[in-house]
Order: sequence, then structure tokens, then C-alpha cells
Amino acid sequence: MTVRFPAKFRDVDAGSIFMSNEAGDFFFTNEQFLDAYAAGTTTEADDQFLQNQGFQSQSSNDLYFYSYLSRLVKRQTYRTELSYIILVPTLRCDLSCSYCQVSRVAENAIGFDWSEETTEHVINFLDGLETKSIKIEFQGGEPTIRMDLLSRISSFCRQKFDEAQFVVCTNLQRLDEEVLTYYDNEDVTISTSLDGDINTHTKNRTVDHEITDRFFANLDFVLKRFGPNKVSALPTIELSEDFDPTALYEAYASYGFKSIYFRPVNYQGFARKKHSDSIDNFALWRKVYFNFLDLLISEAADNPNPIDEYYFTLCLKRFFQAGHDSHVDLRNPNPFGRDYLLVDYDGQIYPTDEARMLARVGQVDLSMGKIGSNFDTEKLNQLNYLNMNNIHEECIHCAYQYACGTDLVDDLSRYGRVDIPKVDTWFCRKQLAIFDRIAGDLASDNRNVLSVYERWMGLPDQTLSEGIIRYDPTNH
Amino acid sequence: MIPLTIRALDSSNDDPYVIRLRSDKSQIENEADFWIRKMPTVGAVATSATKTIYFPNNTSSELDGDVLLVTPTKGLANRLIRAASSHNTFLVTEQCDQLCVMCSQPPKKHHHDLFAELTTAALLAPKGAIIGISGGEPTLHKADLFNLLTDVLSKRPDLQFHVLTNAQHFSENDLHFLKDKINRNIVWGIPIYSDVPDVHDQIVGKTGAFENLLENLTLFIRAGARLEIRTVIMQQNARTLPNLAKFLSKQLGNAETWAVMQLENIGYARKNWADIFYDHSVDFTPIAEGLRAAILNELPTKLYNFPLCTIPSEFREFAVPSISDWKKKNIDICKNCNALNSCSGFFEWYDHTNGFRQVGAL
Repeated sequence: MTVRFPAKFRDVDAGSIFMSNEAGDFFFTNEQFLDAYAAGTTTEADDQFLQNQGFQSQSSNDLYFYSYLSRLVKRQTYRTELSYIILVPTLRCDLSCSYCQVSRVAENAIGFDWSEETTEHVINFLDGLETKSIKIEFQGGEPTIRMDLLSRISSFCRQKFDEAQFVVCTNLQRLDEEVLTYYDNEDVTISTSLDGDINTHTKNRTVDHEITDRFFANLDFVLKRFGPNKVSALPTIELSEDFDPTALYEAYASYGFKSIYFRPVNYQGFARKKHSDSIDNFALWRKVYFNFLDLLISEAADNPNPIDEYYFTLCLKRFFQAGHDSHVDLRNPNPFGRDYLLVDYDGQIYPTDEARMLARVGQVDLSMGKIGSNFDTEKLNQLNYLNMNNIHEECIHCAYQYACGTDLVDDLSRYGRVDIPKVDTWFCRKQLAIFDRIAGDLASDNRNVLSVYERWMGLPDQTLSEGIIRYDPTNH
Repeated sequence: MIPLTIRALDSSNDDPYVIRLRSDKSQIENEADFWIRKMPTVGAVATSATKTIYFPNNTSSELDGDVLLVTPTKGLANRLIRAASSHNTFLVTEQCDQLCVMCSQPPKKHHHDLFAELTTAALLAPKGAIIGISGGEPTLHKADLFNLLTDVLSKRPDLQFHVLTNAQHFSENDLHFLKDKINRNIVWGIPIYSDVPDVHDQIVGKTGAFENLLENLTLFIRAGARLEIRTVIMQQNARTLPNLAKFLSKQLGNAETWAVMQLENIGYARKNWADIFYDHSVDFTPIAEGLRAAILNELPTKLYNFPLCTIPSEFREFAVPSISDWKKKNIDICKNCNALNSCSGFFEWYDHTNGFRQVGAL
């Protein structure tokens, strides 16, 4: 007897219906087919098509049934091995950016660095990990204020793990001999902030032109010394009606960066005090974001390796493929405290970077305890059940559920709770807007746009045009 | 070409026996180990406490570490496992229930049973070796095969097996075996030639083979067994390759490898060459389209037996140097090529007069 797997559908532009399932199978069709599907009046050819596309099987014991389950499992599988640790050896910083998300403290403040005891606990903790390959991200404050701790942790990891990678999130203000010697290590990469042109960067971050000049000079210096593969930059975007997408694009293009993460000011931490309007400026984000995306598409015209928007490409990949789970704010399920966590300057452990900010502004304490003592995961386990989109009413009916995720920390930070209807959250609205854009472009079969998407995803020419399944029952 | 059967002179009339050769006397571990060294004049000699074997045509260094099946009455030895090679395959039977149009090893009626000897040989394999099992159809002797795999892997968990099977002879009863943890060390290489049942059935010469295959593949998925799907490309199935790629990506997306293979012109393939050889160097279109579907759906795909110069540059990364060392050759145009190390090369029996039209040194 025919078994139909749960399917969802959504109207997209160009008069198309997008049909999908939880395993990530999808195709485009028309209303006539949807009606037949719903009424149970599909033809034999329709049923053959549905079976081929992974929407039904002839029994609950055949290849099509089990392969559906395999795909479903593949979409739902997540890493459980702790292998990605964010370390905050100091909260001190020599800059005071207007939207700093972590409530940094002044450079000469006392009591905002790891104590010797905390440092030893961190090393013991790393020593107890089972993973063979580790990724350490040094955050701050400004981590290069404590090069001694960076070197100590790195030396330990290099002898403990088969493979170790280190990312230093830095404002690039200091590039003395000690810092450069550390950066020379092949396993170290540099991540910095670049908000756009000199004026934007000064306004947002440095205030002082002299400091801005030093930043740009140092960015030039590290790019020349290490090349763009070792150095990455992230902007923080202040949304406004007169946002200039070209200035942002030019700034990144001029340094040879291949990816821009269009990251609006986050309604978290210190940023919350100065940017209270960021709680609900969705319409503005939508306008500015898609303007920027359109600019990237037009700039990509004949470029074999065009600049992409990092998050959009991530969504594109998740639209087609399972396993793109390294971005921890967009994956499903997304349990806290499993494969990554953060150790703060005071030894407190948090499930994510954003979670420590929520604790700092006094909104909700998601701390898992202090390094050196046992983890308290009870609170997180309660949340983890909610941290998957398979159980939320709106999500289970959403045609994009398979590609999407959940962001409970974002929900908490904006609304102070995790149970408001997902369709009313910023996260859901943002995801719907992006996925609708993708589905619309795929449906309309605009070769120019698809060609850009192919290059952003690193696919050979024609791959998307050939790979998108369209079904018109009258042709079968 | 490296000969796999060599002269081995043992003055006895003993039954065939399995030995391992060691040039370093300190490495001798058990009674199967023979100490091999060079003869003063030519060839090599291997000795154990009770036996002496002469190898008139080989040096001691080339045989060091090899596991041999010695047949005294014939004066021959089969090099079952060559220590220096990553291409060691046990041919467990020459019987087969299919009759593929391109079979490189046409089936024979009679089965010459060597499972006991092969089990002994596998246990003597170098650490971490990958051993191929081929035929004929190995699962026509399924109980013996499963015993061999279980025996060897329970004692030697460092080894890996790659079993080539048409998957026609599995049933619900085999789920238990397929789920056993030894299956972590077994890759099942299963050919699917087309997503069109008739095309597949005609290639393998067996009506209903495709349907039976799909049913049995369900068992492999349920068991979580490791799969390699193999597709030899021919005139008969080339045009169906894009849809096959889509079918495999969807229904067998957990396969570790999809091996798209060019023809080996020996056996039936040589006889049927004109009717089956598909020259992808002239028209790569269906393969390119198949590869694009596989890439989009992240089906790990490789091109076997595709010389690099016959592939458009954007798809060369998918080609692997797949032709086993002992049956690989280069042809004239290879002389000035810079890509020999990463190239499959050509089969020893490849005939360029009816082979690829578009070749050229890279």
C-alpha cells in the first residue's frame, strides 16, 4: 500500500508551488498538481514522480521508504563531540565600539582576566576532551592583550590534539613582535571587524581617526604578510534608510575578501542600550539586505569567483544539502552545550557567545557553571527540547523547515521568552524572507541569478539549472 | 605488467599450502613464515624448518612480505597478497548467475574452493591492508564467504574488505550478518548500470535483476552497511547516466562512493567492444550531467579507468588512478605527459586503434 511521507507546500513567486518534506526533498509544481495531491486523485505517472522524488513509497518496507528515513536521519544528525571552544581570556579592550556586544571593560581595569586557577582549570578541561581535532576561538575583550595566555593554551593544544586550529578575534590595534610571531604559526587565523569605508568604521568603532588609520594600516599589513586566506573580516551593520551598500562592497573588494557576512547590530549586550531600535526593524533590514544582495549579484556578473554574502550562501547550501551545520545560529536540532561552548573571563561556562551576553545584561542566566566544577546541564536540557524546529507548530507546517533551524538565544534576547509563536520572531521572519527569495529565484529559472548562485556555492556551471525539479502533470 | 602467478619449485608432491615470505629473519612469527634471500646466481630461495622453495624468476626483495599459495605439483605459486601493492583481490569463485555484456572475468561452471586457503592468507596480510573479494559472484558461496569475513575480521580488526557482489542473493536472513560490527570493515561494491530496469537487466543478462537488486539494497540500507555503487559506462547506458545520478543521490545517498567506470577490454568486453565501448573523450555530455547532479546532491563520485586527458579539465578532479599496478600501462602519447602520477593510465590490454579518439599529453 502506498505510503505518503509528510509533505508541505508554499506559494512562491512566478505562480509556482514549492513542495518539500522533512528529509529535504523538494520540487516545484503548479496548483493543479497540488489539488490532485490533496484530493488523492494523482495519476500513475504522478505517483511514479512522487516516489522518484522521495515523497512516497509502495510499502513501509521498500527501498523508497528506507531511503527516505536515511535522508531524514542525515538532516537531523548533529555532532555530539565537544570540539569547538570559545575562550575569553580577558574582557579588557582598548576600543569602545558603540555596539559592543560583550560589555567590554577598559584596558586598565583589574579583575577581568583569567586567574591562574581559571587558566589551569581550562587546561585540565581541554586535557579531558575526547576529540582528536580541536578548534579554539579566542574572543574578548581584546585577546591580544593576553598573548601569554594565548600562547600557553595553544602550546598545550598542539601537543594534546592531532589537529588544532586557533582563531584570534582581534581589533588589529596591536601588531607587536610577540603578536606577529604568534600569527606566523600556520594553525592560527585572524578574524577582525571591518564595518565598511573609513568613515563608517570610525563612526562605529574607533571614534578617533588616528586609531582608524592604524587599523587600516594594520589590516593592509596582515593581508600583505599572510594573504586573504588567513585573515577574515566581519562587518557589523547599522541599519538605516541611507545605508550605502556600495561602500561596504568596495571596502571588502578592495582588500580581496571573497565573502561578506551582512550582520546587523544584534539586540544583545552593550548594544542593547545604545541601539534599542534594533529590536524590531525588520522591514528596514529586509530592504537594506536585499538591496545589498542585488548589488552582489550584479557585481558578480562575469566574475568566476564573486564575493558572496556569507549567510545567504549558507542558506542556499542548506536548501539543497544536509550537513551544513558549522554555523551554530542556523542548524537543526541545535542543542546547547554539546559540540561547542564558551569559557568566559571569570571561568563561567556558557553554551554560546550570545548566551554570555544575555547573562551580562541580566536578562537570563544560561551559565552551565564554572570551569573546574561539574556542568549544570539541567536548565539547558529543558531548553534543548525546544531547540529544534521539528516540534514547533508553525515550523512543522513550514515548507522550509528542513533547511532552517532555531535560535532560542535570539528569541530570548529580543522577547525575553522562548515560547512566542515562531512566525512572530525576527529569526523566523528573516529566514522566511531569505528562503522565499531563494525559492522564488529557483522557480523563475533566471539563468543569470542561478549562475551567480552556482558560483557562490562552488558548483559547476549549469548545476542548479539542471538540478531543480519541476513537475507539470499535464506533460506526463 | 606484474605477473601474479610465478614459478615456485618445491620438490614435494604436497597439497597446496599458504606461506608468507620474510627477508628479515627476525620478523618470522609463525610456521607459515619462510625466510627468503637471494640465490648466489639468479632467483631467490625461501626456507622453513621443513621446506625449501626456489623462485627462479623473482628477487627476494620483490617478494618480501608477500603471501603466496604454493602448488608443488604444478611448480607454481599465486601471489595472493603482494605486500607492496594496494590492489590485492581474492577471486573466490568463477561461477556467476549473471552474464554481463562487458564481463572481464567470464564465468565458469565449476567452483574450485579455496576459502580455507584464502582465510589463512588474509590472516597473514600486512597491517591495515585492504583486501578485495571478487569473482564470479562471491555470494554464490555466501556461507563460506561470511565465514571467511567473520573469521578474519574477528582476529584481524585492522583489515578492511571490499566485496564485489551483484547483490542478487541476499535475504532478510542476512540482516543479522550485515548489521554485525565487522561490517564497519567491509565495503560492498554493488553494480547498478541504469535507473531504467530493462537497461540494467539487458546489460547483466538477467531478467528481473534490477527489481531484485532494489529489494536487496533495502537490506543494506536497513543494516547501515557501507556501500560503493559501481556503474560501467557503455553505449547501452550512457544516456541514462544523468537520471541514474539523480536516482542514486536520492535513494542511495548514503553510499560512500559512486564509481563511474570505463570499460576494461578483456573477456566479453573485448569480444563485444564495437557494440559497447562508449568513447567519453568524444562526448562527455551525459557524464558531465551525471556528475553535476551528484555534486549538487553530495554523492561522493569518482571516475575509474578514465585517463585524465580524456576528461574536460573541470571534471578531472573526480578521476582516480584506479587501474591496478599489475595491469596498467602507458601508451605512446603518455611519453610527454606531466600528469602520469595522478592518472589511471591504460589497461595492459587496451588497444588504441579502437580506443579513445581524443587523447593528448597534459
